[in-house]
Amino acid sequence: MKNRILKLAFALLITISAGAQKPTLFLGAKAHLGNGTVIENSAISIQNGKFQLIADASVIRIDPSAFDTIYRLNGMHMYPSFIVPNTTLGITEIDAVRASHDYSETGGFNPNIRTLIAYNSDSKVAKTVRTNGVLIAQVTPRGGRISGQSSVMHLDGWNWEDAALRIDDGIHLNWPASYYNTGWWAEPGESKQNKEYQNRVNEIETFLTKASAYAKSSNLMDLKMESMRNLFDGGKTLYIHADNANDMRDAIELSNKLHLKKLVIVGAEEALKITDLLLENSISLILNRVHRLPKSQDSPVDEPFTQVKKLHDAGVHFCLSYEGEMEAMGSRNLSFTAGTTVAFGMDYEQAVKSITLNTAEILGVADEVGSIEKGKNATFFISDGDALDMRTNDVTKAYINGVAIDLNNHQKELFEKYKNR
Amino acid sequence: MKTIRIVVLLFITQSVLAQETFPVNGVSNNFEPIYAFTNAHIVLNPTTEIPNGTLLIKGNEIIALDSNLNIPKGAIIKNVAGDYIYPSFIDLYSDYGLKEVQRGKYNYRPQYDSKKAGAYHWNEAIHPEINASTEWSKYNSEAKPYLENGFGAVLSHAKDGIARGTATFVALSDKTDNENILIKDAAAFYSFKKGVSKQKNPSSLMGSIALLRQTYFDAEWYELQNSQTNLSYNSFINQQELPQFFAINDELDYNRVYKIAEEFEIDYILKGSGKEFLRIDEVANTEFPIIIPINFPSSYDVSNAETTEWISLQNLKTWESAPYNPAILAKNGIEFCITAADLKDSKSFLKNLRLAITKGLNKGDALAALTTTPATLIDINDKVGSLAKGKLANFFIASKDIFENGIIYENWTLGEKHIINKKQEIDVRGYYTFIANEFENNLVAIEGINAKPKLTLFHLDSIALTTSLSGNNITFSNPNGTFRASGKYNNGHIIGNYQDSLGNYHSFRMQRDSLFENKEDQFELVIDNNTPSVWFPNKAHGFADTPQYKNVLFKNATVWTNEEIGILQNTDVAISEGKIIAIGTLLNPNDYFSEEEYQTIDASNYNLTCGVIDEHSHIAISRGVNEGSQAVTAEVSIADVINPNDHNIYRQLAGGTVASQLLHGSANPIGGQAAMVKLRWGANAEEMKIAGADGFIKFALGENVKQSNWGNFERIRFPQTRMGVEQVFYDAFYRAKAYQKQWEDYNNLSQKEKRNTTPPREDIELNTLVEILNSERFVTCHSYIQSEINMLMHVADSMGFTVNTFTHILEGYKVADKMQEHGVGGSTFSDWWAYKFEVNDAIPYNATLLNNAGVITAINSDDAEMGRRLNQEAAKAVKYGGTSEEDAWKMVTLNPAKLLHLDAHMGSIKVGKDADIVLWTNNPLSIYAKVVQTYVDGKLMFDVEVDKELRARDKAERMRIIKLMSEDKNGGKKRKPQPTKEILYHCDTEHEE
Repeated sequence: MKNRILKLAFALLITISAGAQKPTLFLGAKAHLGNGTVIENSAISIQNGKFQLIADASVIRIDPSAFDTIYRLNGMHMYPSFIVPNTTLGITEIDAVRASHDYSETGGFNPNIRTLIAYNSDSKVAKTVRTNGVLIAQVTPRGGRISGQSSVMHLDGWNWEDAALRIDDGIHLNWPASYYNTGWWAEPGESKQNKEYQNRVNEIETFLTKASAYAKSSNLMDLKMESMRNLFDGGKTLYIHADNANDMRDAIELSNKLHLKKLVIVGAEEALKITDLLLENSISLILNRVHRLPKSQDSPVDEPFTQVKKLHDAGVHFCLSYEGEMEAMGSRNLSFTAGTTVAFGMDYEQAVKSITLNTAEILGVADEVGSIEKGKNATFFISDGDALDMRTNDVTKAYINGVAIDLNNHQKELFEKYKNR
Repeated sequence: MKTIRIVVLLFITQSVLAQETFPVNGVSNNFEPIYAFTNAHIVLNPTTEIPNGTLLIKGNEIIALDSNLNIPKGAIIKNVAGDYIYPSFIDLYSDYGLKEVQRGKYNYRPQYDSKKAGAYHWNEAIHPEINASTEWSKYNSEAKPYLENGFGAVLSHAKDGIARGTATFVALSDKTDNENILIKDAAAFYSFKKGVSKQKNPSSLMGSIALLRQTYFDAEWYELQNSQTNLSYNSFINQQELPQFFAINDELDYNRVYKIAEEFEIDYILKGSGKEFLRIDEVANTEFPIIIPINFPSSYDVSNAETTEWISLQNLKTWESAPYNPAILAKNGIEFCITAADLKDSKSFLKNLRLAITKGLNKGDALAALTTTPATLIDINDKVGSLAKGKLANFFIASKDIFENGIIYENWTLGEKHIINKKQEIDVRGYYTFIANEFENNLVAIEGINAKPKLTLFHLDSIALTTSLSGNNITFSNPNGTFRASGKYNNGHIIGNYQDSLGNYHSFRMQRDSLFENKEDQFELVIDNNTPSVWFPNKAHGFADTPQYKNVLFKNATVWTNEEIGILQNTDVAISEGKIIAIGTLLNPNDYFSEEEYQTIDASNYNLTCGVIDEHSHIAISRGVNEGSQAVTAEVSIADVINPNDHNIYRQLAGGTVASQLLHGSANPIGGQAAMVKLRWGANAEEMKIAGADGFIKFALGENVKQSNWGNFERIRFPQTRMGVEQVFYDAFYRAKAYQKQWEDYNNLSQKEKRNTTPPREDIELNTLVEILNSERFVTCHSYIQSEINMLMHVADSMGFTVNTFTHILEGYKVADKMQEHGVGGSTFSDWWAYKFEVNDAIPYNATLLNNAGVITAINSDDAEMGRRLNQEAAKAVKYGGTSEEDAWKMVTLNPAKLLHLDAHMGSIKVGKDADIVLWTNNPLSIYAKVVQTYVDGKLMFDVEVDKELRARDKAERMRIIKLMSEDKNGGKKRKPQPTKEILYHCDTEHEE
């Protein structure tokens, strides 16, 4: 009951504080900064949409008059926004309804395609995701050899321009699998070695080589080539989706040969086999969904859960994703997958980092988001309990660029409606 | 059986006469000499041999055979000294001489009705009217591979469909078709595969089983009625007198066929998979004779360590064990035949047969499997299968023991010779002195295989020359053509001439100084009796030994009882003989166990709960989860197709799940019957079932049953709207009521009236629906939208039964009051939505709202991955709706137990209940909780420490077999490593059997 009154008070304060220039102070929360550190009893202020003071409340003296509003959050947890990379959230609504799909364009090489302009800033699905602490998504196209370009988006905004955090952050390339499955989903045949593998890789090399040549000259406008230009000056990241160790090795080799500035591997099921190569080449990974079945019937039952800790111990730089079946709606469970990695050995703050700062670094947005640090965007949330555990995850407040967002959604409305029937 | 014998004899006599009636263009020439094969090592049958004997044949018949025979005058004598004569082999699983059944053109639109014209069965896969003898004609190029491998006669049928029709038994001679057919209708064949039929039904293994069972019932009824004609049933009924052959797919099918055999009292002969060793006890249990292929898997290319990881341990173990399969069958006293079917290359038949011998198959057993056993099974052992006077002249002559390294020279069928390998009568090999003008006294070696010798003339080269031998003519030349010689061999001399580089001829003479030491004769049979171990199942994590009951005292645990006493701290729990026997503090083990026979586990850091129960699962199912080919398929049952080999069983045990309802999918309004299983890893399909559990059936509503997401071609099957769905239910239940009445009326007749009345047709679909009406079977209904949920409750109310469970039930919260009133429970997803249009209003608060309304509420998986962490899904009811932790925990344990009528034995920690126990490292609702141990019926099924040992064992086993494979010489062409594809079923998975 006490809690409820407190919450009511918050609501009032938000109204009053709108437009104020004085900072707002969040006092007493256990702040998980996202960079691997934690402040048990924190004092964190925001002003003009940015974090300002980041301090240990038990050490510093606080002058209440310096703050427009002070939230007392003892016993609660504060986190920087969780970030879901490599997702179709916002460009699809209902899996079975084709009309709601905007993630896969026809054609093989579509680097010029951009998810940005299809992004639905009023996605009903997104509103159920942010209520669990995910406020930022890398909205990513699917399909073809080169699917197109992703953008990093806030899960709130009046329109896509307003919601964009980083426009066209990178190009997504689906590396051919050296092994592939035959048959169709209901009658799967045996998996086979892909005899066309080398031909497909050659096609990629040809395409990227042309793009490299184009980037050095200034010819007539070619939409596809133009969209690839920044891969060679570090302006864009090439995200290569690959799982087999062999395929990742080939991808890295090609990237080096063509002097691509920034390569990230997405998926990386067999990353543990190539950790040395990843470290030598400073390659970051966006990992498959932790809550998945082991790779094969022979794999240890907890293989997907323990992989993360092992990669961490090997020093590999990575973040977690939620790609797979029902990924858009399911991305609200991203933080619980991080929780599972804690159960299987990860340090808690490092697990937080794998869905916050690491993700921001990999997506090239770490200057603005990913951790609670002075000068970064005040994009964060408060949870009543440990947000990595579904048992305690309870997001009570969330901010994007210092502005509180509405945590209501279609599902909550129905709950309220039928609860009080 | 007697009648068949008569038919056979008549037929043979007739065929001989028939030939006489064939007009001859020219002068008739039908002199049949007597052939005498002398000095042969004659193998009469698997138990008798004549080391030096004579065989006399005339026409197509053996007229005499003994060690000491007077050879009649005028007989053609063939001295086959040293050669072996065997009765020719018999293959019972062949389609020789029959045209391959063609698959029709692919049609995007589904076909629900039969397109076959005529008064036949409604299902195109049931075609007992197909008669092989009317389609059969000899086909020399197809006979050749059989003859090359020693076969003389085969049982041929069209390998297509479920009731396939009859087979004809034919000889492989060049004589007329009339003479080759030895038994016109020799057997009837069945299988679970529908074959080329394009008709939708059946689309699953369980559908095939149900269709076949219904066919047996229909035939029984058909015999008694006279209202209609069905040619398929006429044939079906007639052929019941013949030997009944059933072709199965894998080792799990043995039990499936066995159940049908028991039900309809049929003695089948089973065509197996060659992997019987995987479940040898179940195979033996059927007591059926079987036919096995010897298509042993070839070895993989294991040179690349990384790609070798794609090969499952299951495939590696199968590769190692498969060649032992025939020997294992023999050791287990199982009567079996060997077929050449399923081989990719007929040349590997003898090679694999010999491999099986080296793996412990006794030669007599091998010969029996190829001769006497098949002959006896189709009751023609008086004509073929062994060598004896009066039997058909079907035999082959080989250089040596056929099970070692013998080469087949001639294969005689119906007294007619086929030359397989020309016998090299003379042996030219040896070491000679070469004498010619040009070069004197040069050494020549002729070595190698007798029929294909290699000559080396050391004056020219130390490498062998190109050599060819035909009869006693030998030619040899060097690669650049400057020396080309030819000569004739006679009595240790070769005389001939050669041409030099200038084109001049020179004569030469060669004289043998010493003989070649023949290594072919040094064959040594090495028998490997180290039969590899078989795990249950025979794959990674499989158990080598069956887990046994454990007596355990868990000390000081936090115990989630699910009973009124709630969660107890520092509490002891004792289990014995599969049951919970005590709960309390400071339990004294001496009160429960005698010394030394129990184990104490310090559980002070653990939470102890009962096992998780999944109300809605599709793991551990073979070949199809949906029989969606009709709107109503109550006749099919998941209980027929349980797959105990599914590794998801072990994965889910590692997540604390101990029992599941294996449900039919949601492709149609009235789906199939469910199976209630405990996840007893290592057990067989029958052992997995929960004894005494109530029967359930899957119903479904909404987008799946109206085929909304099946694409634009699927607009044919009724229903296509929710409106139609309602009518399907009413129609089904009214039909069931009428059917029930029919039987009641019939059963009320006096004995006398019954004799004059055709009984109603036994209908397994309607039987199931009647069970529902009588509350003897209970409905679990896949459902989403409130309108349809409401509708089904109305249907049930008006029909006088109660829906037991709505599963998924995502809008249940909108009609929770009505559900409570009806008395139906709900089993829902914790937080799934947005995957279909009908889940727009699915909310993660649903479980809480249902629970609060007094509806028994469970949370289920419907997903192999989620099924191993249902504890986390339960926690979402705490997160979203604010349900208490105890109530949330019940949603994946006690509540599903109640919904499945299992709560008397399961679902809580209570004295007397099953010892399905899970130890967790943490509060089981926490993401940080890991399973330490899972017990099912007091047997330890998962243990983190044992799991570590299994991983080490699996790795060692893998490396051991890879080493064997690297050394393998038998493999021939090596296979590329391939990953094993996983099949994961959801509600809406369609699959073709």
